[in-house]
Amino acid sequence: MEYGTLKNYIGGEWVASSSNEILDVHNPATDEVIARVPLSTAEEVNRAVTAAREAFQEWRETPPLVRSRYFFRLKALLEEHFEDLARTVTKEHGKIIDEARGEVRRAIENVEVAAGIPSLMMGYNAEDIAAGIDEDCVLQPVGVFCCVAPFNFPAMVPFWFLPYAVACGNTYVVKPSERCPISQSRLFELLDEAEFPPGVVNLVNGAKGVVDALLTHPDVAGVSFVGSTPVGKYIYATAAAHGKRAQCQAGAKNGLVVMPDAPLGPTVAAILTSAFGTAGQRCLAGSLVLAVGDVYEPLKARLVEAAARIKVGNGLDESVQMGPVVSRKSLERILGYIDKGLQEGARLLLDGRTVRVEGHPNGYFIGPTIFDDVRPEMTIAREEIFGPVLGIIHVPDFDAALEVLENIPYGNAASLFTASGKWAREFKYRLRCGNIGINVGIAAPIATFPFAGMKQSFFGDLHGQGRDAIQFFTDRKVVITRWF
Amino acid sequence: MDLGTFGAILRFAMDWEQRAAEFYEQAARTGNEVLFQEMAGGARKRIGRLEQARREGVAEMILESITGLDGDAYTVALDPTADGAALLRQAQSLEESAARFYRDAAARLPIREVMRLFQRLGQEHESAGQRFGEAASQPG
Repeated sequence: MEYGTLKNYIGGEWVASSSNEILDVHNPATDEVIARVPLSTAEEVNRAVTAAREAFQEWRETPPLVRSRYFFRLKALLEEHFEDLARTVTKEHGKIIDEARGEVRRAIENVEVAAGIPSLMMGYNAEDIAAGIDEDCVLQPVGVFCCVAPFNFPAMVPFWFLPYAVACGNTYVVKPSERCPISQSRLFELLDEAEFPPGVVNLVNGAKGVVDALLTHPDVAGVSFVGSTPVGKYIYATAAAHGKRAQCQAGAKNGLVVMPDAPLGPTVAAILTSAFGTAGQRCLAGSLVLAVGDVYEPLKARLVEAAARIKVGNGLDESVQMGPVVSRKSLERILGYIDKGLQEGARLLLDGRTVRVEGHPNGYFIGPTIFDDVRPEMTIAREEIFGPVLGIIHVPDFDAALEVLENIPYGNAASLFTASGKWAREFKYRLRCGNIGINVGIAAPIATFPFAGMKQSFFGDLHGQGRDAIQFFTDRKVVITRWF
Repeated sequence: MDLGTFGAILRFAMDWEQRAAEFYEQAARTGNEVLFQEMAGGARKRIGRLEQARREGVAEMILESITGLDGDAYTVALDPTADGAALLRQAQSLEESAARFYRDAAARLPIREVMRLFQRLGQEHESAGQRFGEAASQPG
């Protein structure tokens, strides 16, 4: 077993969990067990939170400029171990190595931005708000924060939060996905090597029990979550009930609107990446194409032709363009959605169920799958499939496309493909959706911008990354001063 | 060999430079030592630049499929035990093939910084090919 039984990282030490509940972690391309992950106990969560609470005072008093130096060291370590981290992501998640490299790059970008904390955390002031009285607003760290991470970006997502929280002077506890926990263990080895003071960063492996212990712990000030909508709602409600701040990025059903004037070559390439990149397991993945008017027939033909050529296989093979899905359970769920689509009257143009990968008989592979004749009320048009399944809806005009998108309960991402600035403006202005792509299939905000989301795709007010992150991880304190 | 992904192209380029460096190091033992060692050094530096591009150029939002690039089209047979003039001709052919590969790949890469790097590397190989051509045409 390549990675052994994973440990927790608490108070600057690697500690074996005392839990008897241990899960196997599989390589989705081979089904091989590559690690075992303990489902830690509430007592272990308490130890991590206590370590974080005890480290808080000294850490918050550490000047921001000094705190930023830890992130410069971390950045150098991340670069040094870049390829190993990317390969770990591919082995535990299945995504292709290029995507894993992109993920690690995105994690590093957040470290780079957070290293600018001496500027990012500056407050503001005004003189003479009344005669001889000045007013200052300072940003102060809050305490212990935690993150409940998803399986689909096991290296990157905790780094939407941890670098900002810690750079702001807070201390932190990460609960990685129990399905893909290895990358965070590797990253915490680097955090350890960067010599963050004991207790400033902590890692507790586990599942719902760990989440509940974090959400109800009196010393946890706030939680960041990325995952499904039902769990996001649960975390938001539970955190609020226990007086914590929460930012919960949840599910998605992202539409890709193609206007008749869109240049088909680059549009098809962008749609394929959006729908089938990371085997469709991205919250930004486009899963519905809304083909407007006459573009429908030629677009459909080119999409199917190009998707059929996508090479599916082990993500460590550089020539592979799409890896497996994360687990057998996910595979079965996706197959269930394909059955449902057929039952509800959609027509399969490309059937990924038949894909076989040579030398990998036990991998969780499913090829690109495209449905035609999809109607907005169908299950496959409304629910998040989180797999490489794309539905095509033929709509008569731009307004009809927007109506379909507005009726979807989610508001995570949507893209428009067009050569018209007018339609582009209408799209970004009218649509209630957090991340908008104009001729971009994956509207992924970089580290200096918030990862937005609306409707059932986000619960909270401040998002991850960017200025939102600094706001989320600080309190604003106003000081009004008069000297006699 | 179909080079259909960003990673496959970068891997091919790095392997190509590695093979070139090894060839030049071996060739340097049989003559034209300064020129061949310089070329070997250049190839090794390019591996570092390509590795950096692979790390920093990759953006998951634009990992679109790449078509029409076949690695087999740039293969050059090499024999580092050949005599001096034959070695120079092989090296010229190797560099011309590399220049063609980088130009063809640059036209297909969706990431601008990497496209520009490939254009620069193509120019470097073109210049190197010319130098080998000139060296091969020198009498004696």
